[in-house]
Amino acid sequence: MANVRFENITVGYGGHMVLKDFSLEVQSGQIVCLVGPSGCGKTTLVRALLGLNKPETGTITVGDKVLFDAKKHINVPAEKRNIGIVFQDYAVWPHMTVIENVSYPLKKQRRPKDEIKQRAMHALEQVRMTEYANHLPSQLSGGQQQRVAIARALVTDSDVVVMDEPITNLDAKLREEMLLEIRMIQNRLGATILYITHDQQSALQLCDKMAIMQPDGSLCQFGSDEEIILNPANRFVFEFIGVSNFIPVVSMGGKYALDCGEKLPLPAELNPGNENIAGKELGVRLNDVVFDKQSPLRAKVSSRIFLGSEYNYFLRLGQKEIRVQQDMLAARLYGTPEEGEEIGVTFLNPHYYDPKPPEQAAAVVESGKKKKFSLFGKGA
Amino acid sequence: MPAAKDNERKLNMDGILTVVCFILLLIIVVIPIFMIIYNAFFFEGKFSLDLFTTQMTDSKNLSAMWNTVQIAILTTIIGTIMGVFYAWLLGRSDIPAKGLMRALFNIPYMFPPFLGAMAWDLLLNGRSGYLNKWLRTTFGLSQMPFNINTIWGIVFVEVSYYFPFVFMQVVSALERMDPTLEESARIAGAKQGTVIWKITLPLMKPSISAGALLILTTSLAHFGVPSILGYAQGIYTLPTRIYAVIYNSTGSFEGIRQGAALSVMLVVVVALALILQNKILSSGSYDIIKGKSMRPTLIKLRGAKIPLLILAIFTLVLIVLVPLVMIFLISFIKAYGLPLKFENFTFAQYQKVFNMNGTLDSIKNSLILSISAGIISMFLGTLVAYVVQKIKPKGKEVLEVISVLPYSIPGTVLSIGVILAWSGAIFGISLYNTLWIILIAYIARYLSFSMKTSSAALLQVHSSLEEAARVCGASHTESLSDITLPLIRPAMVSGFFLIFLPAMREVTTSILLYGPKTMTLGVKIYSLRDAGMIPQAAALASVAIVIIIILNTIVTEITKERKGV
Amino acid sequence: MADQVILRNVTKRFATKTLGDIVAVDNFNLAVHEGECFSFLGPSGCGKSTTLRMIAGFEDLTEGEIELCGRLVSSSEKNLYVPPEERGLGMVFQAFAVWPHMNVFENVAFPLRIQKVSNAEVTERVNKALKHTSLTGLETTYPSDLSGGQQQRIALARAIVTNPKVMLLDEPLSNLDPKLRETMRFEIKELQREFGFTIIFVTHDQSEAMAISDRMMVCDMGKIMQIDTPENLYNKPVNRFVHNFLGESTFINVDVQGGKVYPKGDHTQAISLDIPKDAAPEMVVATRPNEIELLPATEDGFKSRIEKRIFLTDRTEYLVPVGEQMVKIQTPHRVRFAQGDACSVRFVDPMWYPKDDEAAEKERAKRQLF
Repeated sequence: MANVRFENITVGYGGHMVLKDFSLEVQSGQIVCLVGPSGCGKTTLVRALLGLNKPETGTITVGDKVLFDAKKHINVPAEKRNIGIVFQDYAVWPHMTVIENVSYPLKKQRRPKDEIKQRAMHALEQVRMTEYANHLPSQLSGGQQQRVAIARALVTDSDVVVMDEPITNLDAKLREEMLLEIRMIQNRLGATILYITHDQQSALQLCDKMAIMQPDGSLCQFGSDEEIILNPANRFVFEFIGVSNFIPVVSMGGKYALDCGEKLPLPAELNPGNENIAGKELGVRLNDVVFDKQSPLRAKVSSRIFLGSEYNYFLRLGQKEIRVQQDMLAARLYGTPEEGEEIGVTFLNPHYYDPKPPEQAAAVVESGKKKKFSLFGKGA
Repeated sequence: MPAAKDNERKLNMDGILTVVCFILLLIIVVIPIFMIIYNAFFFEGKFSLDLFTTQMTDSKNLSAMWNTVQIAILTTIIGTIMGVFYAWLLGRSDIPAKGLMRALFNIPYMFPPFLGAMAWDLLLNGRSGYLNKWLRTTFGLSQMPFNINTIWGIVFVEVSYYFPFVFMQVVSALERMDPTLEESARIAGAKQGTVIWKITLPLMKPSISAGALLILTTSLAHFGVPSILGYAQGIYTLPTRIYAVIYNSTGSFEGIRQGAALSVMLVVVVALALILQNKILSSGSYDIIKGKSMRPTLIKLRGAKIPLLILAIFTLVLIVLVPLVMIFLISFIKAYGLPLKFENFTFAQYQKVFNMNGTLDSIKNSLILSISAGIISMFLGTLVAYVVQKIKPKGKEVLEVISVLPYSIPGTVLSIGVILAWSGAIFGISLYNTLWIILIAYIARYLSFSMKTSSAALLQVHSSLEEAARVCGASHTESLSDITLPLIRPAMVSGFFLIFLPAMREVTTSILLYGPKTMTLGVKIYSLRDAGMIPQAAALASVAIVIIIILNTIVTEITKERKGV
Repeated sequence: MADQVILRNVTKRFATKTLGDIVAVDNFNLAVHEGECFSFLGPSGCGKSTTLRMIAGFEDLTEGEIELCGRLVSSSEKNLYVPPEERGLGMVFQAFAVWPHMNVFENVAFPLRIQKVSNAEVTERVNKALKHTSLTGLETTYPSDLSGGQQQRIALARAIVTNPKVMLLDEPLSNLDPKLRETMRFEIKELQREFGFTIIFVTHDQSEAMAISDRMMVCDMGKIMQIDTPENLYNKPVNRFVHNFLGESTFINVDVQGGKVYPKGDHTQAISLDIPKDAAPEMVVATRPNEIELLPATEDGFKSRIEKRIFLTDRTEYLVPVGEQMVKIQTPHRVRFAQGDACSVRFVDPMWYPKDDEAAEKERAKRQLF
């Protein structure tokens, strides 16, 4: 097990810079999630780590082994890097049985037969797939195929295991199970795992640390789940992590006011202190908008939707529509205002950010595009 | 710097493969085609349109051209209507015994049409057809009721062999179609009949036109049926005319040159059809396969069920059973012309055929040729597919076009090209009258089959499968041999059979290329019949039919096993 | 309000090769009111789609009868079956089912053309339908050039253009991405307000059903489990299946002894709960992860500690042992505990169910195979 260090990595395709001067250090024995919208360069980064593409500058080290150094012209070929990989489309070989798939990396290391068998079975045990050893991938479900892929990545005791969106093709329930499983395997083996995803939810469930990348390929925050949730480094992280309301703040007679078509004075307790927030926007998560009879901020309920685990409201605050999520516990304890009712609201944990420039908005839309994948790649 | 070295090595291997690919295609495909064009327009090294204009203005050639077009268009129209009708009947209605009938409807696909033409000639020949004679005496007619030796006769036999092109395309499209497309029309208020007319048929249009154009191009280039049915009556099509010209000139260079000029005419006609095909096919295929997989609701035929079932069975008997039975019956007859009575039956014809010089050789030749053409094309096709799909060199489109080209040009034309190229014109290499020249023609003709299947398989091998192997410690070559090749092996095998089976029954190409010792099975049957030894020809044809059935069964079994994996 | 769709004792049996006869729909009785949005909700194989297809007329029924807008359309007794094209319904399918060979205008105009409506009127009514589905300007576009959301709008426009009284929606949003799903949900409600049709909405997604419906039917294994408003179904499910299907559930196996409730297998600490009168000695207490109060250890409640904390985007999850079971609790981020902290847990108003019915679970698994 070893730590992974990227230093000043630059990768470009045909004049277009995907990554520029990217640096990141992953501690040994941790699960680090690399999160960002698709197209932000996270896959490019892991392909550089695997040796499947060649950066223009920088160094990549795993433990004390230099895998790539642009200046010293070191570029260890992919097959000699000893990194495990789990792909989104599993990439288990459909013509080999489960055990053959898992033994393959050991065979390539020319290990003795007994050892291969014993270690492959051990790896299958880790992912609870021993009883399927002689099955072909086409006889397995998506989740089972992904387990085989994980076993194959673990079998050589790789220094690092890279997982590139390994659960994206599974259904919701299985996704949750696989995350737990990955966590448990990591606990047992203490492997360093670099987990790539565009799904912040699963990243939060899994990671020890999270690295969030912006669409331009730069790293905007690297920290624990708690740091990222509670202290997002910038507006991008704040928005990426969850849905929020944004209300512009203006100054009014030396104090601050919320610009909701009409100007509503900002309650004193929401004032952040020294910081000048005029011209910025107040960002607040949907479930941090709470009903409070005493609050001077009055809003009118324009619709209430029951969604089971929560109520969703659309409130009219001045001329502006804001959304609110109220969980069932709060609904039971504080009641559920009817459509048309006027209520007081207050904001918990407000953040203040600069307004978003228009082109950034476009980038977020772009990130919604889906990836194509081939059926055969799944081992069908 | 181990990495750099690795990259160079990879580059070299890919480079070598690409160059090898280009050279082989040059020899097999480009040179013969070039030779045709050269000889049609150049005489003794000088450009000359004389030959071409004399051929173009020859009334015999013009009428052959008109016949070709007429037959092809009629065959296409009738075959398409028949194919669509039966596809709908077997794909969508509640007619019984669907599975069995579907299998039977594909049978014509297995046999060479010239066998069917032979059988129908025996039955409905304008002068001596068995059925004709029987009908005349039974009903006391003054003349023969049918004459198969006409344009319509040729169309009838071609339709019965080519309608499966449309049938198969449409039936599979019908089955994969999202049933809610039809259901939503019902909800919109349309009756069943309106739904078929306004929704189902328009949605099938791409599949129908794909199948129809396949009939059109195949019929334009077809040799067997018109040569058997039309020859005696002086009905020529371009392919049979080319054959006649060369045959009559007893293989002289002048004859071959005339053939080359005629070939250019045929190629122009076929090319027009191909351009039409590309235009129509690129105008869009609809995405009609989505949503949950649901069995389409079958349409109840109610009262029409029995009549339609009878019609379907009658069609099957007519196109499948009658020709086969006829060939078997004639093979037992003591002498051609005798009534089909039990006392006239004998096994002697089989004995005669097998005691004849060259019969066994022809079977052996066919086996040798189709197995070696199958294997060589399988590897060459996979090589081209690999270069096109994975290495992607500059000019890969050219490579693709070249490998598909020979299948688009008629077999007769291809033979002339091969003759022109390999009877001494280049480096004095003469392969004439050897198996080699036929082999080259087969490889060129069938290369695209294996190229296409391997190409489709390679496209499905996602790059992450190879990358996973690299990361697991396999080198570039190892990932190729451990992962890629095994994955496309089934496709390669089916590519082999796709070539092996049609090559076994080939006539069109071989008939211009064979020499005294290099007759193929098809050619042998054809020439026995040509020489008037009809019962013997039927006997050998029966043997061929049995061989084809056995081979097809073996292939189906093998491919079934593979699918099970 | 009149009942517009009435099912009386509707039963549908299928013969299958592997499992013999299967009762896909077992004696359904229900009445959908005029102007209502009524959902059929259940896992796959529960009979909801078959029921819808019987209402549409794509399937005949084995027993019972169906009445649409006061007219009998299917009846086993009277051997009556009205084909789909004569039922006057609107329907939208999961896979959109827009016709790729017709442009947007012709797709929407098709039902009117079948009715031989005059050209002028066709244009007027199609334009109106297109306006209401925000497709104006796309008349001559072909469906393949449009996004999934737009294609589903064409299907909606085609369904409303004939002004049907009843609209059948068969998982219409399942093929759309989550964001679009929400928007389309609002649009469907908007159309209903405008045109006043009755909706029958089939889905397996409970939150979608709850968001859109006035009432819904939850079914399982061909049987109706419960018919009620979303809030009542969520808050007062009649059995464990409905509870679990309507949202993330926490089931705690408990022993009821001497007027006290103990978590199964650990009687050292009782859970403070009101015990229902007919409680058996072994029961299941059902609640939901976000209806459990997590409080500092100083407050009253079941004493435990935080085993694990997981941050999610919009909430924090804590795993807290209750007896031998690990209970998941979801709170807003502002409720903060660290891993290992002592805490108190309170269950607010839970439901009580008899001990697990394992036979039912097994039957369900068999169904899933079919």
